[in-house]
Amino acid sequence: MEQFAPVKRSKDGQAVQYLIVDDSVFARKNLGRIIESFGGQIAGEAGDGLTAISEYDRLKPDIVLMDITMPQMEGIEAAEKIVQKNPEARVVMVSSVGYQENIVAALQRGARHFVQKPVKPEVLYEVIKYVLGEDGAVASAAGAGA
Amino acid sequence: MTQFSDERGSELRDLFFETAQELLQSLNEDALKLERNPKDREIIRSIRRTVHTLKGDSAAVGFHELSELAHTLEDALAVEKASADVSLAEIGFTAADTFGAMLVAYRQQTALPDSSAVRNLVQQLASSAASSDAGTKSPDTPAHIVWTEYERLAAQEARTQGKRVFHVVAHIDPLCAMPIAARQLVANAVSSIAQIVASRPEAGAAVQGTSIDLLLATSHSEAAIIAKCQIPTVIGKATCSEMVFESASESPEESEQTEQSIAEAKTEGDQDGSRDRRTLASQTLLRVDAERIDNVLNLVGELIIGKSMMQQAIHEYARRSPKDPLRARFGDAMSFQARVLNDLQRSVMKIRMVPVEQLFRRFPRMVRDTAQRCNKQVNLQVTGQDTDLDKSLLDAIAEPLTHIVRNAVSHGIESAAEREAAGKPAAGTITLDAYHQANQLIVEVSDDGRGVDVEKVKAKGIRNGVVGHDEAARMTDSEILDLIFRPGFSTADEITEISGRGVGLDVVRSVLHRLKGTVELETHAGLGTKFRLKLPLTLAIIKALLFRVEERLYAIPLNTVAEIARAKESDLHHVDTWEVLQLRGQVLPLMRLGQKPAEDEVGSHAKLFVLVINFASRKLGLIVDALEGEEELVIKALDDQTIATDLVSGASILGDGRVVLIVNLPAVVDRFTSALTTTAPSGLFLADGERAAAAGAGVRQ
Repeated sequence: MEQFAPVKRSKDGQAVQYLIVDDSVFARKNLGRIIESFGGQIAGEAGDGLTAISEYDRLKPDIVLMDITMPQMEGIEAAEKIVQKNPEARVVMVSSVGYQENIVAALQRGARHFVQKPVKPEVLYEVIKYVLGEDGAVASAAGAGA
Repeated sequence: MTQFSDERGSELRDLFFETAQELLQSLNEDALKLERNPKDREIIRSIRRTVHTLKGDSAAVGFHELSELAHTLEDALAVEKASADVSLAEIGFTAADTFGAMLVAYRQQTALPDSSAVRNLVQQLASSAASSDAGTKSPDTPAHIVWTEYERLAAQEARTQGKRVFHVVAHIDPLCAMPIAARQLVANAVSSIAQIVASRPEAGAAVQGTSIDLLLATSHSEAAIIAKCQIPTVIGKATCSEMVFESASESPEESEQTEQSIAEAKTEGDQDGSRDRRTLASQTLLRVDAERIDNVLNLVGELIIGKSMMQQAIHEYARRSPKDPLRARFGDAMSFQARVLNDLQRSVMKIRMVPVEQLFRRFPRMVRDTAQRCNKQVNLQVTGQDTDLDKSLLDAIAEPLTHIVRNAVSHGIESAAEREAAGKPAAGTITLDAYHQANQLIVEVSDDGRGVDVEKVKAKGIRNGVVGHDEAARMTDSEILDLIFRPGFSTADEITEISGRGVGLDVVRSVLHRLKGTVELETHAGLGTKFRLKLPLTLAIIKALLFRVEERLYAIPLNTVAEIARAKESDLHHVDTWEVLQLRGQVLPLMRLGQKPAEDEVGSHAKLFVLVINFASRKLGLIVDALEGEEELVIKALDDQTIATDLVSGASILGDGRVVLIVNLPAVVDRFTSALTTTAPSGLFLADGERAAAAGAGVRQ
C-alpha cells in the first residue's frame, strides 16, 4: 500500500486514535490498513451504532469513521448521539454515493466530513488532515509503519 | 413462482405510470408558468426537481432510455448560468411531450419515439450557457443568481447591522460524487464564521449541480471565508465578492444571446404539433377531489326528486283536465327531461367509478405470501379487472375480499400431496373474477380445492347452537352452507377440522350487508368452492319498490324482488314458528313486517301482498299491506342520532314530499332468523316503527 507522511497529534506527537464503525468486517479491516498507512492507530472497532457510542465513551478517539447502514442503530443516529454528548467529537461519515441524503442528514447533525465508498486512501488522507485541523500535524520524517 | 415477481414488477410499473403522469403534468404546468414568468428561478428549480424524480423513478423500473434522457435534461438545467427565458419553457414542453410519448411506448411495448427534439434543445442550451460562461466569466462578477426580494432584504438588514455581505461561489470538486453532501459541508464550514442568508441550490435541495452560491453576512474578511470554503476533496475553488445592491439590470446581453440560439433551435422542431399534443395531454387527465363529485351527485339526486315532483304534478293535472292538449306537451317535455336526467346521473356516477383492478392488484402478492406460509402451491388467475365499481364501494370490499381470498389459500386449497392423491394438479388455482350483472357488480373468488363438507357444517352448526337439531334436519344443503356466515358458527382452532371455512365470515357478510350487497357460496365436494359477492354499483340512487305496512311507507331495492304474489290470510300456514305460503308447489317462508291480525280475523279473506325476495340464494316472502309502485330513490343517509334501528338503512323523499324509509333487508332477515329459536317474530316493525317514524321527521327537516 501507498505510504503517506504520517499525521500525528500536534499536542503530544502521538499517533492519531481512530474508532472504526462498520458492520462489515472486511470494510473495517480495509479502513484499518489505510489508517495505518497514515501512521494512525486503531483504538477500537464497532459493528453497530450502539457499540460505537459506548466505544467512543470508553476510548475517546480522535476520529470516528462511521458507516451509514448498520444493524441496531444507523450511522446517522450514532453520529448524532456521539456529537451531542461530545461536541468535540470528529465524526467522518463513510458511505456510498447512494446514501448521499443520509450523509447530508449526518452533516446536519454534527458529522464533520464524509468519504465515499470505496474509500480512496488519498482522499481519506486529505479529509483526516482537514478534520484534525490544528490538532494534527504532518510529520516530516516517514517513520511510522514499514 | 417467478410469475409473482413479474406481477410485482407490473404493479410497480403501474404505479410508475401513474406517478409519471403526474410528474409530466407538473412539468407542463411549470413550463406554462415559466412561459409567463421567464425570469423565475424557482420555477426552473421546480422543473429540475421534477425531471430528477422522473429520472430516478424510471431507472427504478428499468426504463433506462427515459432515465437517461431525463438525466441529460437535468444536467442541462443544472447549469446555473443558463438564463431563464421563454426557450426554457419550450424545453419543458418538448420534454414533457417526449417523455409522454416514451411512456406510451413503454406501456404499449412499442418502439420508443425519437427524442432528438429534446436533445437538440438541450445541446443548444448547454452550448449557449458554455459560451456565456467563457465570455463573461470573471471571479468578481458571478452574478447570475437572482436572489429573491426577501433574501435581498435580509442581506440589507445584515448590512445595516454592520456586517459585510458576500456572494460566495464554491465549485465542487469534480471528483466528489456527492455534491449535495458537499454543499452541506460548505454550509457547515462557513456557518461557523458567517450567517448564511441564502443559498443556491437551496440547502438540502436534491439537485446535483457543480457549484454552490451562498449569500453570506459576516464580520469576517473575504480571505477568512474563502479559507473556510477550501475543503479538501470536496471544494475545488471558491470565489468571494462583496454583494452589490442595485437594480437587477445585469447583463441583458447574455440572456438575449441564449434566447436567440434557442429560438433558432425552436424553428427546427415541429413546434405547433407539440403544442397541440400538450394541450391534449393536459385535458385528458384531471384530478378532482372526490367531495366535488359527491356534491354533483347529490345535486343530481335533488334533481331526481324534482323530477318526480313534476311527474306527480303532471299526473294530477292530467287527471283533472284530461282534454287539455297541453297535457301531451307536458308529457313529452317530462320524458325528455327524464331521459337527460338519466344520462346525467349515469355520467356522474361514471366519474366515481374505478376499475376493480385497483383492488385486484394487491392479491398476487398476498396469495403468494399466504401460500408460502401454508407451504402450498397456488396460482392466482385474475379476470374482469377492467370492471368498474364505485370507488367508495371498492375500498369497502377490500377487507372482506382479502379475507375470503386468504381463506381460500389457507383452507380451500389442499396440500400438494393431498391434491395429487386426489388426481389434481399439485398447484391449486384461485380465480378472481369481476363482472357486471344488471345493476350489480359480481365479484367471484373460486378455488379448486376440497370444497366445504355440508355434513360437517351441519354437525358443527348444531354443536355450536347456531341451529336447532330439528331445523337442521329440514334444511337444504344451501341453507346449511349459509350457516357458516352466522356469527358464532366457528372458532379459530376448529376451522381446519371442517375444511376450514368460517372464521370471520359473519364479518364478511355484515360488511356486505352494510353495502346493500350479499355474499353467498357454492361448493362441490372435492372440486372447489366459489364465493360470490354481489354489490350495487352505487349506494346513492336505487330503483325501489314502495309498499305500505300499517299505513307507513317503506321501500326495498327493486332488484331484490323476484315477484309479487297475492294471498289471503287463510292461505298462510305455520311451520314451527314460521309462517309459510305455498307458492306453485314450493314452500315460501314468510316474514310479517306488521302486526299479525287479531285471532278472530285469522282465516278471513283479507287480501295481502307477498313480495318474493331473492336473498342470498334463498327465497323469502315479505308480507305487506299494500303496494305503492316503483320509484327511483335518492338515498339520504341517516345518522345514528336520527335513527335507532338497524332495520332501516336510509330514507328518501318522494316527489310529493312524503318520506319513505328504506328497509334494510339483511337486518330484517337476520332478525327473523335469529328470533326463530325464541318467539314468533311477527309484528317486527311495530316496536321499531315508532322510532323509524321519528327518523322520518328528521329526514324531512
